Amino acid sequence: MLKGHLDMIVLAALSAAGPAHGYAVIEEIKQRSGGAFDLPEGTIYPALHRLEQAGLLKSNWTTADSGRRRRVYALTRTGNRALIERRAVWKQFSAAIGGLIGGARPRETPA
Amino acid sequence: MIADYLDRLSHQLSFDRSLAQDVRQEVEDHLWEAVAADPAADKLAAQQRAIANFGDARAIAAQFAVISLARCSRRAGVAAVLVIAAVFIAMKARIAWYAATQWAISDGLRAVSALVVRIDRYAFWLSVIVGFGSLAYIISRKIPAAFDPEYNSQLRRFLFLCRASAAALVVSVISDGVLTIIQLAGTELPVGFWVPMASMAIEIACAGVLVFHIRGVALRAASTAALLNSCVGH
Repeated sequence: MLKGHLDMIVLAALSAAGPAHGYAVIEEIKQRSGGAFDLPEGTIYPALHRLEQAGLLKSNWTTADSGRRRRVYALTRTGNRALIERRAVWKQFSAAIGGLIGGARPRETPA
Repeated sequence: MIADYLDRLSHQLSFDRSLAQDVRQEVEDHLWEAVAADPAADKLAAQQRAIANFGDARAIAAQFAVISLARCSRRAGVAAVLVIAAVFIAMKARIAWYAATQWAISDGLRAVSALVVRIDRYAFWLSVIVGFGSLAYIISRKIPAAFDPEYNSQLRRFLFLCRASAAALVVSVISDGVLTIIQLAGTELPVGFWVPMASMAIEIACAGVLVFHIRGVALRAASTAALLNSCVGH
């Protein structure tokens, strides 16, 4: 289930953290989710590459303080738009599920 | 220990050297940062933990392989369109040269030539339509997260379109070759006779490039499927 939302999670983490390298993105996800997501860390990197190929992220290589080469990712405008859309869909979905499971009626939104 | 893991990962990604190099550097940075952030004094154990948290090299490589395959197929779609455009330019240049040199076909071969021209025209425009269609199809698909049955069937459709376009282009190039032979036959070769020969060589090379790209996608798809199967087996 988590894998289906991985793209949104990565986009949201980058939106919150600003331009960041893979490790920082993973730390941001861990921190914001309270460590709830237990994905192999390596799974994030193919997602970052895929999102970059789709034009939702851009990346550039920098040199870290350690002297190692580091790839830093940032949201593109298209990525930002995609995140806004996905957030809206997610809110609608979670309100509907919340209504079903929790018993509260979700607020009706115009179609 | 980290170096061994990176070697394994690079080896699994050896089908795409630039990707393997980029991924290696990115993962190396990640693993050493994870080791540095590990509070344990035993750095060897920290390396082990960093690698275990990162995941199986083969499984990670399989995910990258799917992305690489998507990139490879998009490149083949672009190559199809560029190759068709190059063949068109070579064809038009040859015809313009025939007109400029007033190099006419001998009367006895006019009927055959008209038939070949018709085949050439239909084959070329079929290749244009299907070639552009294959590019439009592949760039309108989402880059997959996994080599699932849906992506597999998308790839099959794309390869079918590419092969159809390439087959039509090969027919067109063969027709052009026949027309060039007809044009050259029975006439005295003018000084610049190498112009149609060179344009034919360009057309043949272009068709070869397209076939090479399509074969590359098919081979990459097979190696990606094999890598994924080996992950399932482990």
